[in-house]
Amino acid sequence: MEWNIRENLVTFSRFLRTGGLGRSLLGLLSLAFVLLLIVNLATFFMIGRTTEFHETVDRSHRVQTAARDLLIRLVDAETGQRGYLLTGSQEFLTIHDEAIRDLPGLMQALDDLTAQDAEVRDRVDRLREMARERIGIMEATISLGRAQRSGDAIGIVREGRGKELMDQMRAEISAIDAIEEERWASRRQQSEWSAGATVGINALAGILILMLAGIVAWMVMRYLRQMQSAQMELDRINANLENEVRDRTGDLIRANEEIQRFAYIVSHDLRAPLVNVMGYTSELETAGQIIDRQMSRVETEAPDLMESDALLAVREDVPEAIGFIRASTEKMDRLINAILKLSREGRRVLTAEPIDMTKMVQKIADAVNHQTESVGAEVEVTDLPGLTGDRLSLEQVFGNLIDNAVKYLSPDRPGRIRVEGVDLADGMVEYRIIDNGRGISDRDHERIFELFRRAGKQDQPGEGLGLAFVKNSVRRMGGDITVESKLGEGSTFLLKFPKRLS
Amino acid sequence: MPHSVKIVMIEDDHGHARLIEKNIRRANISNEIEHFADGSSALEHLFSEKVLNNGPLLILLDLNLPDMSGTDILEKIKSDERLRRAPVVILTTTDDKVEIQRCYDLGCNVYITKPVEYESFSDAIRQLGLFLSVIQAPEIS
Repeated sequence: MEWNIRENLVTFSRFLRTGGLGRSLLGLLSLAFVLLLIVNLATFFMIGRTTEFHETVDRSHRVQTAARDLLIRLVDAETGQRGYLLTGSQEFLTIHDEAIRDLPGLMQALDDLTAQDAEVRDRVDRLREMARERIGIMEATISLGRAQRSGDAIGIVREGRGKELMDQMRAEISAIDAIEEERWASRRQQSEWSAGATVGINALAGILILMLAGIVAWMVMRYLRQMQSAQMELDRINANLENEVRDRTGDLIRANEEIQRFAYIVSHDLRAPLVNVMGYTSELETAGQIIDRQMSRVETEAPDLMESDALLAVREDVPEAIGFIRASTEKMDRLINAILKLSREGRRVLTAEPIDMTKMVQKIADAVNHQTESVGAEVEVTDLPGLTGDRLSLEQVFGNLIDNAVKYLSPDRPGRIRVEGVDLADGMVEYRIIDNGRGISDRDHERIFELFRRAGKQDQPGEGLGLAFVKNSVRRMGGDITVESKLGEGSTFLLKFPKRLS
Repeated sequence: MPHSVKIVMIEDDHGHARLIEKNIRRANISNEIEHFADGSSALEHLFSEKVLNNGPLLILLDLNLPDMSGTDILEKIKSDERLRRAPVVILTTTDDKVEIQRCYDLGCNVYITKPVEYESFSDAIRQLGLFLSVIQAPEIS
């Protein structure tokens, strides 16, 4: 019992330490259960004690009654005996005989009641002996009375042995009475004490259970409050998060717009000085030609005036310088135009429409037919899954990639370009443009998608714009582009688009 | 172009201004050209009494100016009762579709993008000169 409580307390405290409402509640409920068990046991014990008490009282009472009955019947027998001796009336003898007849039964009852009772046993034994002796004396007097010797009989009575025995028996019975009385009192006290203890335990357990209930209620309330505040906190965080996402998205959109606008402005502002560089370079060239003509005249009309290095400067150095200036300016113009194109494309509004990709890509393949035929290459377009997207962007993306594949075929083998596609499980669609061309070295797999960057042998015209443009377009459509390639073996461009442009 | 028509050129880049003038002259246009490098001085001139009562004029306008946008100037010209009939030729590096539409909406008469390639540039200006030689400009009164 105590061990149980201690264990539960230990467990309970462990629950409290480790936290967790479920475990704490379990601990508290276990404790309440244990308390109920204690109350139950105490009550049970108390009922046992009460029953025992009642039995004791009952037995004491029966012992007292039996002893008194015995005495009364003995007195009755004595009364009958004395009446008979005095009157010789048979009526008194009948009273005596009836009393004597009852005595063995009464004696036996007293014997039975006190058989296990060591304290009373001796007294009962003595009582029995005295009763027998008293009966013997009475029988003797009655026999004398029957024999008409009443004088002798009265003489025996007068001897006082009978009275003496009766007095002793009364004393014994009083003693038994007293013993039983005392026992009864002591049992009652015990019973009262155990009843009090039971009530006390009940009350204590009741209070404890109420306290536990209070604690449980408090814990549940606290837990609910915590839940509520956590929920509110969560709601607040969610709201914040949404705001933050909205803000960030707004920031991103603004930043993107700014970059687009920046690219646009920069390219326009860069163009203006280029117009001057180109313009005045041409003016210089024209001026140079005029001087050249003048020098030719001087050369023929006054050759001795002609400085050879002046001639060299006008005829070779100046045209060469002008050539380089012009080439660089033109290149710069192309680069600026590339940025402009990207910026403009980035600002174009995409429109979603269902597209038959097989048809579209086949058309692109047909457009490069004359190029591929001349080098013995071929473009194979398999059945492609369709999608809903921006037609112009997709045409530009596939056109660019197929152009690249044709442009960078390997001279060692007949070019084979294959376009295939497959619907993916996650609402995306994947296209692959596979070639057996010159391939791209590992370290350039990222670089080729950067603006103005090119990879491999620079034997084809280009600004390093195409793939940057492709990547930009693919990203705008919510897709992705990657390349798998091995230098000298071929390349596969993997395109992923959402099945529906959002 | 009748000799009396004055050309007002609003162009912040002196190099461009000079190239434009050279090429106009090469197209045998000898009309007086007044050059302004910024918007405010150009507007001041255009709205002065001297101009308002001094015969027809034609405006060559660049869109990228340091102090204001060319479209603002265009708007002011086209909303002015007397100036709005003067032909305005936009001559700029911008070839943005939206910008071009906006200029025509505001009432520009011709929009020309300056080509970077000088051949094309001088061709364009010379052709503009030829064009100027045949167009009629109304009086400003």
